[in-house]
Amino acid sequence: MRRATLLAALAALTLSGACAPSVPGSSSGTSGSQAPAASADRLTIGTTADVVNYNPLVGNSRTDSWVTDLMYPHLTQMDEAGKRIPYLATEWSYSEDGKTATATLRDDMKWTDGKPVTADDVAFTVNAVKKENFGVVAGLITALDKAEAVSPTEVRFHLTRPDGTFLDNVGFWLPVVPKHVFEKAPSVQKFANDSNWVSAGPFNLTKVERGQRYVMDRVADFGPGQPTIKQVVFRVFPDVNTEVLALRNGEIDLIGNVLPPATAAELKSDPKVKLQQIASLGWAHLQYNTKRKPMDDVRVRQALAHAVDYEAIRTIAMKGFAKSSNSSVLTPSQPAYMDPTSKEYTFDPELSKKLLAEAGVSNLTLGMIYDQADPNIARWAPMVRDSAKKAGITINLQGLERNTYVDKSLKSDFDIYAGSWAIMDNPPANLGLAFKSGGFINYGKVTDPKLDDLIDQSQRALSPAEAKAPIQQAARIIHDQVYDNVLYVETFNIAYSTGWTGFKPMPSELLSILNPLSLAAAKPAG
Amino acid sequence: MRFIGLRLARGVLTLWFAVTVTFFLVRLLPGDPVLAVADPNMTEELHQKLLADFGLDQPLGVQYLDYLGQLLHGNLGMSFRQSIPVTTVLMERLPWTLILTITAMVVTIVLGIPLGVLAATRAKGWLDRVIQITGVTAQSLFVPSVGIFLMYVLGVWLGWFPIGGAVDLDATGIGATLSMIHHLVLPCLSLVLVQLGGYVLTMRTTLIDALGEDYVSLAKAKGVRPGKVVWKHALRNALLPTTTIAGLQLGTLVGGAVLTETIYAYPGIGRAIYEAVGQLDFPVLQGAFVLLAAAVVVANLITDVAYGILDPRVRT
Repeated sequence: MRRATLLAALAALTLSGACAPSVPGSSSGTSGSQAPAASADRLTIGTTADVVNYNPLVGNSRTDSWVTDLMYPHLTQMDEAGKRIPYLATEWSYSEDGKTATATLRDDMKWTDGKPVTADDVAFTVNAVKKENFGVVAGLITALDKAEAVSPTEVRFHLTRPDGTFLDNVGFWLPVVPKHVFEKAPSVQKFANDSNWVSAGPFNLTKVERGQRYVMDRVADFGPGQPTIKQVVFRVFPDVNTEVLALRNGEIDLIGNVLPPATAAELKSDPKVKLQQIASLGWAHLQYNTKRKPMDDVRVRQALAHAVDYEAIRTIAMKGFAKSSNSSVLTPSQPAYMDPTSKEYTFDPELSKKLLAEAGVSNLTLGMIYDQADPNIARWAPMVRDSAKKAGITINLQGLERNTYVDKSLKSDFDIYAGSWAIMDNPPANLGLAFKSGGFINYGKVTDPKLDDLIDQSQRALSPAEAKAPIQQAARIIHDQVYDNVLYVETFNIAYSTGWTGFKPMPSELLSILNPLSLAAAKPAG
Repeated sequence: MRFIGLRLARGVLTLWFAVTVTFFLVRLLPGDPVLAVADPNMTEELHQKLLADFGLDQPLGVQYLDYLGQLLHGNLGMSFRQSIPVTTVLMERLPWTLILTITAMVVTIVLGIPLGVLAATRAKGWLDRVIQITGVTAQSLFVPSVGIFLMYVLGVWLGWFPIGGAVDLDATGIGATLSMIHHLVLPCLSLVLVQLGGYVLTMRTTLIDALGEDYVSLAKAKGVRPGKVVWKHALRNALLPTTTIAGLQLGTLVGGAVLTETIYAYPGIGRAIYEAVGQLDFPVLQGAFVLLAAAVVVANLITDVAYGILDPRVRT
């Protein structure tokens, strides 16, 4: 018996010995109730994906953008109200006829190899995107004829037509790359840019351990001010839940990804964690396929809109981390364009039934596609189904794998599409893509000449004030015709350790507190 | 020699089968790989150009033959998403998967055999019952559940182990080795716990059978010490089924490693597969499966040869 016990103990010892030697002094656990004291030496950020493309003009994932945005400056950033604020550009304007746009640049920005950042770099970047026609920006600068450097600090964009969205789009979306590096590549689009990085942001990538981490070191002479933090490290985790464990464990200081509402509600009471609320520039919505019967009848679309319990979705599924947009595509995140007269569709199953009867539709059964990996939609999709049932409408849920979902959305292969736009930063430009005839993300196949005309008018306007009237009229048509059914605007929650402070929040998951100006300003608390 | 030649030929055939199934299977994945790499707001011209760049504009049969031709030249192709050779992607990840799976396998065998022997030599005693119940329970465990449980208890509550990654950023020299071991504990333990039951129970059953054989009775009658009877006479025969299990379990271990690496953000091939599925990166998926299939085929070949050495009767 004694030998048996001894052997068992030996086996247990072997298990712990073979599998678990601890590293002296390196335990990363934080069992106290306070976050560990932060050091300005390093800020570790959790992300859920590797960097796939180091060429900032091509990359399209969140991690790609977070990392490359710290390296390549944009002309502008955005304040919390969605208004453009200076970054590389200090001023920008249009000529009276709207066919020329000019931006004046700061003169204190340098690439990490010592060369100054000039208007030549901006002109080269824009012209390369135009010439090779790739990336997000290419679809937003269709009005561009060419860009030219008038002086080292002034760049002029010649447009083929007045386009009041041009500077907003270029300022927000275009990362400026060093001409003297990128021009050597036969194709800017195909340039991998995966080593020896030359950048001009607050941090420069210095070490890559794929699948594990991306190390970025401080750039001492960053124009807007030397960052406090010496090093930013992005660490890769499989999902947000693991990131939360790592934050609680003290392995990371900040979670880059937005927290699902239920997780945010749970973390609210954690003394080691602070939640930063960020406005979304997008919205969650339902779109009805206007080319499929009976949804081609506006009364059916209205019936569907009145069969959704919006408040319940915001309160229960979103745990209160969502605002009403009054069923308007001009959301509270865009105060310069918002229409205060818009009213949310009421949840009224009886009205739904009446509208369906008027349209001569009975026993309506529809399918609703959504991305099953989206934790928010997975929570509210059953609520949409259940509330529709009260109006006598049967909705069959079709939770799909992401690639299938995107494919079906682009092909408008659905009755009802449930989803969310991530970033709608400029209503005239974005409504053009989403609701103009043939618009690239016009999933509902809307074709309305009056709407097209109003969106065109708003795009020609050279200031938000001038664009406001036509874009509000366009939004009213979208509301009345139920071309889009806006459910809510999410309030994002970004979690970080209470050991840190000084972040500068900006709207959207893309900018949030990970934007370059924010990380350049962040510092240890206390 | 003929025995090894036959096993080798069977291995090559298995590999070809795995390559073929993988090639067609990944193409059944829904979605457009071009949309996973480029902004959806691209022109149709660019879409077609990217399809051509990826070789996806060709008929499926042509793509398949091209791929087989590439493989014969040792070329696994270029990653759609990362624009670098698949070999580079996999070679960055392979060492981590090898460290994890080999460690897990060695620990499982080192623990499984003695525990099986212990249970068999104490058959029907309380220790045997405890080992059996634990073994059966361990066999029914699911890697993700074990992984999340261990991560939460040992990583977050007790804070003993890191819950993600493979090595600390600042670790160098011996510190780096210790850091690697420290990071290896939880993923390794998850795999060991899931695999251990199979070894223990098989070892127990086969050893009980062996201990009932005439040659064991003869050895005992000759006055050979009980320990020597078990470890020297009975164990060699009882090891044959366990050797088979070790070869078969490698496939399960590789499958478990995909889940374990994903849960613990361990930068091995399993995690690369998980990422490649979401990104529809066909070349990386194909390359990873070919590599893993090759590993399993080679391991089985070694098992067959080892079996032949342990039991010369199978060399036919």
